[in-house]
Amino acid sequence: MTAFLSSSFMHNIFGGLATGVIYSLVALSLVIIWQSTHVLNFAQGAMAMLATYIGMTEIDRGIGYWWCVIISVVVGMALGGLTERVLIRPLYGKPEINPIVVMVGFLGVLEALAAAIWTSTTRNITEPFSQIYYQDHGHLVFLSAFIVFQILLAIGIMLLVAALFRFTKLGLQLRASALAPEVSRLLGIRVGRMLTIGWMLSAGVGAVAAVIVASGNFGLFPTDMDGIFVAGFIAAAVGGLESPIGAVAGGLLIGLAEQFILAYWSPNVAPLGGIIILVLALMIRPQGLFSKSVNRRV
Amino acid sequence: MIKVDDLSVNYGAVRALREVSFDAPTGQITAVLGANGAGKTTLLRTISGLVKPRNGDVHLDETNLIGMATENIARLGVGHVPEGRGVIEELTVEENLRLGALSAKVNLAEGLSEQYERFPVLGERRRRHCSTLSGGERQMLAMARALIARPRVLLLDEPSLGLAPQVTAQLMRTIRELCENEDLTVLLVEQNAKSALRIAHRAVVLHLGSVVANGDAQSVAADDDLRRYYLGVVVS
Amino acid sequence: MNWWRTLSRQETTNSRVVAVLALTILTLLVTIFLPPVADSELAGGAAIAIVILGLSWLTGWSGQISLGNSGFMAVGAYAAGIWAHHHASTPLIFTLVLALVAGGLSGLVIAIPSTRLRGPYLAGMTLAFSAAVTPLAQNFTSVTGGEGGIFLNSLVTPKWFEHLFHGANASINANAQWTADLAVVVAGVMFFFMANLFHSRAGRSMRLVRDNDVAAELMGVHLARTRTMAFVVSAAFAGVGGALYSLLEASVRPETFPLTLSITLLTLMVLGGIGTLSGAVIGGIIFSFSANLVAHVNSLTGVNPTSNLGANMQGIIFGVLLIVTMIFAPRGIVSLSSPLRRLWRARRPLSVTQEVQ
Repeated sequence: MTAFLSSSFMHNIFGGLATGVIYSLVALSLVIIWQSTHVLNFAQGAMAMLATYIGMTEIDRGIGYWWCVIISVVVGMALGGLTERVLIRPLYGKPEINPIVVMVGFLGVLEALAAAIWTSTTRNITEPFSQIYYQDHGHLVFLSAFIVFQILLAIGIMLLVAALFRFTKLGLQLRASALAPEVSRLLGIRVGRMLTIGWMLSAGVGAVAAVIVASGNFGLFPTDMDGIFVAGFIAAAVGGLESPIGAVAGGLLIGLAEQFILAYWSPNVAPLGGIIILVLALMIRPQGLFSKSVNRRV
Repeated sequence: MIKVDDLSVNYGAVRALREVSFDAPTGQITAVLGANGAGKTTLLRTISGLVKPRNGDVHLDETNLIGMATENIARLGVGHVPEGRGVIEELTVEENLRLGALSAKVNLAEGLSEQYERFPVLGERRRRHCSTLSGGERQMLAMARALIARPRVLLLDEPSLGLAPQVTAQLMRTIRELCENEDLTVLLVEQNAKSALRIAHRAVVLHLGSVVANGDAQSVAADDDLRRYYLGVVVS
Repeated sequence: MNWWRTLSRQETTNSRVVAVLALTILTLLVTIFLPPVADSELAGGAAIAIVILGLSWLTGWSGQISLGNSGFMAVGAYAAGIWAHHHASTPLIFTLVLALVAGGLSGLVIAIPSTRLRGPYLAGMTLAFSAAVTPLAQNFTSVTGGEGGIFLNSLVTPKWFEHLFHGANASINANAQWTADLAVVVAGVMFFFMANLFHSRAGRSMRLVRDNDVAAELMGVHLARTRTMAFVVSAAFAGVGGALYSLLEASVRPETFPLTLSITLLTLMVLGGIGTLSGAVIGGIIFSFSANLVAHVNSLTGVNPTSNLGANMQGIIFGVLLIVTMIFAPRGIVSLSSPLRRLWRARRPLSVTQEVQ
């Protein structure tokens, strides 16, 4: 058993899962924002990065890891809510391309801002869980307490998000506000507030992803979240934007794909991992692998 | 009671409503008639706050609705079943009803059972997605969704649209019953003037945004000259 | 002013030739009066204008939003660079055509999955492409020269041209002028092609597909083919622009084509006006001035250009510009002023309009 677990195949599985978890969280944040607003936040990665940077600054003042996480998430949520009210609200009712373009611009601003304020270097924070890989009888298993924690965290958030949208009043209102804003208002639902809440929740989850990246071995660099956002986006697209489970599955899938391409094909091709998965998914099922509705062309 | 005072609405250069004034008495059905483009839907949308008027007021008893946000108007007890019914297809029947009950702070279980009793078909289909419902079923759902909030006012925009004659007749009877039992104030916009006038207490006729008639339903129904306006054809 | 209006409408091939020729000659004249530094900025702007033109075609005319044009620029640049590196004596035209073809081919490859996607999905797909380009270029060291990139011989000024210049810095001035003029001429040619495309049957089909694809299909327009064609053309233009840009810089490096370049292109296109020739020109001009603009803002706000803030000013400014423009003037800055607006209407520009559900 141990020999199997420490085999190179399992190394790759665990490695792929570790990166995949981060993609899953980003994908989850996109599912949240899609379900509540029908807008995709292209600046999600950059916003999460900025929130985490702010959180990391606080750590310099000597507070603990968990406080840093909390601050990052709260800052992320605040940033999300603010963005919705200031940048997205004025675009309500206009062509759907406009918010995309605005968010792309925002992405540029945030990254430049982060580089300007904190210099263009990697920053990281010490993790609370051991990053040392487990050992058994001298064989190395590419799994650490931290990785296990991440996976559990992602699954936990996924379940919470799914429950939110399926079973709660808030979830119903969020969905209705995105599906039929005018009708929802006629039913007394405060659609504006729902949009802001949707953005806040989405940004909060995104911040968690960035925090995990920052806690990892490589730390967080201002433009790191670009690639991660892309992978998360593809994961959400492949999993179907309506499905939290699909998002998580998609994220893990892309993580695994990248890892296996890296190990068994060529490390040079690894950046294309996400695209390859997307193309394959599109060929198999143009409407996303988990979603119920076919709405890709509209 | 709903008091519409000198209401004017412009869509750019087009004057959709011109100084429209009339009263819709409490507990009665006021039919709003007129040909296509007369401004009937605009009137309802303005009352609901979806459209901002250029001039004029709409009073629900003491409160002026103009300038209020749509969701707040709805929370005051104004139920609006819009043109096309506005049934949210991606949700189930029961989810649509839950939505209706949410902001009204009514007991959900009670409200649901009441509506299922009134419209048994909905009860049968409660877990189905609304895309599978027929026109008549959607109309019932839209009404139930508005009613579950226990509104004091009901704004109905062309409820008979696309429905078979028997279904329409049944629908109209239901509206009349509701009005009497729940003491609702109803504004009924209809193209099908005949069936609307049968159940209405009062009638307002619009033509190109202006009020051309305002009186009790019977006299409006009997007036041949008026029929030209709300039927939109010249009756020779 | 009838002749002006006819010129603006560019409805006949003749008027198109005249219009583009006039603009090109005008710009060439301008290069004579500009100092060498400004000349090279102008040259860069011309290269970028070509790319913006292609993007405008894709986004404005076929309604497909793409964040991938920095990637297509890279393809064209590397294709040209790798070839020129090994065959230094190839005439410029050949190199540029190579870049065009390479760009077009990569556009075809990306189009195959992309044309089935709309709106945000399409944006995401193209984002994935351009985000992957820099890492790929860095990885495949043997082919692309990795981080260091490939050095290209600067465009060589012909002797007859050099003789026109006198003075201490004659050869430098001559070189700057020559490269600027070359860039302008290439841009002129590309603009001419695009002007023809705008008014061709292909252009009309694309507009149809953009506005109402159901109706278009009923009229016999092949949706996927039309959209793919839009991608290919856009990528081809980006390839030429990218190659030209790299030739002007005399090198091709992975950092030249980051994701933020795609954002910059988008900003410039929106500022100039989506879907028009003039928009691309305006975008190119703004790009030329961007270094100056950034320096100006730095001095206005008292920011030290070598500090972190100063170094990243460009990113901040362009991002803010894009946001502000999209919110307040999505039709481009030209639409903000009245007299220009009338001229604008005479050209009947086309903006992206995907209806909100």
